[in-house]
Amino acid sequence: MAETKSCDTELKTAFPSIVQRDTTQREFSHFFVAKDLLPTIARHLHTQPGLHGRLALLWAVDNRPARNTYELHYLFTLEPSHRWVLLSTELAKDDRVFPSITPHIHAAQWYEREIRDMFGLIPQGHPDLRRLVRHEHWPQGAHPLKKDFPWDRALGRQQGEHRFHRIEGEGVFEVPVGPIHAGIIEPGHFRFSVAGEPIMQLELHHFWTHRGVEKLFEQQPLAAAVPLAERVSGDTTFGHSLAYCQAVESLRHLDVPRRGRYLRSLFLELERLHNHLGDVGAICNDTAYALPHAHCSRMKEQIMQLNDRLTGSRFLRGLNRVGGVALDLTAAQLAEIAAEIDRMEQDFSELESIIAHNASLIDRLEATGVLTERTAWDHAVVGVVGRASGLDQDLRRDRPFAAYDELSVKVVHYRYGDVRARMRVRMDEIHESMRLIREIRLRIPQGPVAVESSPRAQAGEWALSAVEGWRGEILYMVMAGDNETIQRCKVRDPSFVNWPAIQWAVIGNIIPDFPLINKSFNLSYAGNDL
Amino acid sequence: MFRILKKSLKTGVATGRHPQATQSSEPLTPEAHKKASAFNRSLAIREVDTGSCNACEVEMNALTNPVYDAERFGIHIAASPRHADALVVTGPVTVNMARALKDVYKQTPDPKLVIALGDCAIDCGAFKGSYAVTGPVDRHIPVDVRIPGCPPRPADILKALTDIQERP
Repeated sequence: MAETKSCDTELKTAFPSIVQRDTTQREFSHFFVAKDLLPTIARHLHTQPGLHGRLALLWAVDNRPARNTYELHYLFTLEPSHRWVLLSTELAKDDRVFPSITPHIHAAQWYEREIRDMFGLIPQGHPDLRRLVRHEHWPQGAHPLKKDFPWDRALGRQQGEHRFHRIEGEGVFEVPVGPIHAGIIEPGHFRFSVAGEPIMQLELHHFWTHRGVEKLFEQQPLAAAVPLAERVSGDTTFGHSLAYCQAVESLRHLDVPRRGRYLRSLFLELERLHNHLGDVGAICNDTAYALPHAHCSRMKEQIMQLNDRLTGSRFLRGLNRVGGVALDLTAAQLAEIAAEIDRMEQDFSELESIIAHNASLIDRLEATGVLTERTAWDHAVVGVVGRASGLDQDLRRDRPFAAYDELSVKVVHYRYGDVRARMRVRMDEIHESMRLIREIRLRIPQGPVAVESSPRAQAGEWALSAVEGWRGEILYMVMAGDNETIQRCKVRDPSFVNWPAIQWAVIGNIIPDFPLINKSFNLSYAGNDL
Repeated sequence: MFRILKKSLKTGVATGRHPQATQSSEPLTPEAHKKASAFNRSLAIREVDTGSCNACEVEMNALTNPVYDAERFGIHIAASPRHADALVVTGPVTVNMARALKDVYKQTPDPKLVIALGDCAIDCGAFKGSYAVTGPVDRHIPVDVRIPGCPPRPADILKALTDIQERP
C-alpha cells in the first residue's frame, strides 16, 4: 500500500497538472492528463527505473454522442508492483490529431495504427502511418468504430496495394507467403527479404480475418455477448469468455461464489493443458520429428474428449456466464478428471524423457528464433513467449483472478528466448497445470456456482479485466451504455502484442526455420485481427 | 530406442478411440454424389480459412491425429489447391478474404467439391451482418456439402467426409 501511494504522489509531484480520478478497482490508479503532456508522462512511466511501466493496452472511445469528444486511454502495468496506471485524455470537438507515443514506447505502434484505422484519429509523429486493419481496398473514410458508422454497412472497394518495406541490393529477393498457407492454419501474409538463406527482414501483413468483433459487441446486450467473446479466438474460448464475464461482473458489482471461481480456474487449466500439449507436439513435428506429435495430439484429444464428457463441449463453450459458471461438477466427475490427469502425467513424463534424449531435436531448437529480453520488453510481449525470454510475469500470480488468490502458482521462466525455451515453458506449465487441477479438486468448497445478476450497470461506467489464458494476458475493457447495452468493448488477445515481436525473432534465421519459430510462438490470427 | 518401443507398446492402438458421430449433417444431394464419384474413394482436401475463429481449424487438425486418422479412409490434406479434389471452407468470408477465396476456387482443378464447414461458413454464424463480413461461402462460390456445428466435432466431420465417398 505504501508503494501504491508513493507511485501516485511521485507522478503528481513530477507532473502537477495531472488530475487523479477515483476508481473502485483494486491496485489501480487513474489520471487525467492534457493531450500535449501525454508523451512525456507515458515516457516517464515507461523508463523511470522505479516505475518500469509496460504498456498493456491502448484504446479509444468515440464519445461524441454524449460529450462531443474522443477519449484515449493508455494502460500501463508497473512491473515491480503489478499495479495498473491508466492515463486518459480527451480530444475536444473537431480535434482529430493526438500525439504519438510510439517514438518512445515501441509497443504502442500497432495500437496507434489501429486507432487511426478504426476511428480516423491521427497519431502525430508516428513513424509508420500505413493502414493496419483496413486493407488497401477499403474505401477512404471508412472508420468502423465511429459511432456514426452503421455496423452492417456494406463496404465498397477501391484500388490500392499494400506498400511493403523494401530492402534493395544485389542478391536480395522477396519471398511472399500467404494469406493461404500450406497447413490447416489461419490466413496471414508474411513478406521475407532474404539474401541467400538468412532472413534480413520479415514484415507481417495481417488482419485478413477481421470480422468486426468490437463493433458486433456494441450491438449486443451486456449479458448476451458471452457467445461472441467465446468466438474471438476459438482455441482460447474459455479464457476470452472468462475475461469478458469478469469485466461485466465488476460493472455490476457481482461477487462470484467461491465454488464458481474454483471451477473457472479448473476449466482454464484444462484449456491450457490441451493447447500446450498440442503445441509441444507441433513444435516437434515442424522439425519432422513425428513421434512426439502423434503422442501429444493423442493426449490433446483425450483432454478435449474429457471436456466434452464433462460439459458437452470440446472447447468448453457455453460454460461461462455473467455471475459464475453454467454447470456444476459432481464429486465423481472431479475424481474422473483427477484420474485422467494422473494417467496423463505419467504418459507425458515418459514422452518428455524421449524428447529430451533426442540430440538432433535439441540441436535444432537451441539458438533458433531468439527473442532477446530487451526486444521482448520493448514490445511489451506477454505470456509464454515473454516467460521464455526472461520476463517473469503471470497474471495468475501477479493479479490473481478466479480462484488463484487461494492457489499458489509456480511461474517458470527461462532466459534464452529460443524455440527450446518456449517449448520448455510449455512443458513445465503442463506439469504445473496438472498440479493445480489436483489442488483445485482437493480444495474446492461446496456451495452455489453462480449468482443471479440483478444489479444493473450504470451507463458510461467501464471496467477492465485481465485473465492469464494459455497464450498469455487477455485484456477486456467493457463500457456500459444505456439500458444494459455495450457502449464499447476493447478486446486484446495476447497475439496482438506478440505478433510484431516475431519479426525480430526470425532475423538471421533461415526461411525453413520460420515455420518452427512461428509454431513456437503459436499466435492466434483470429484473436489478433478481431 | 527401448524407451520409444516401450512407449509404443504401452500406448497400444489409439485409432478409433472416440465417441461416434451424433449430429447428422444434411443428406448429400445427388449432384454432389455425382461430382464426388470422379474421385473414387480418395479425397485430397485443401482447407481454406476465410475468417473463422480457428475452432474449426483445431477440429480439422484433429482429423489427422492418431485417434481419427482420416488418412486410413483415403482422406488426405493437400498443401496446395492445385493438388486438391475438395475445398473445405471455414469462416464467414471476411471482406479481406473474399478475393483470396475466389482465387483459390479458380486454382482448384475441375472436377471439384466445395464443403462448407461450420455454422459461419453456412450462414455467417455469430458474425452475420457485420460490415467486415461478405459471406456466407455460397454467396461467392457454389457449395456442394454443408457440415453444420460450432464447431462440428471431428467424428461428425469424418462421417460427413466418408459419406461423400459412399456410392449413391
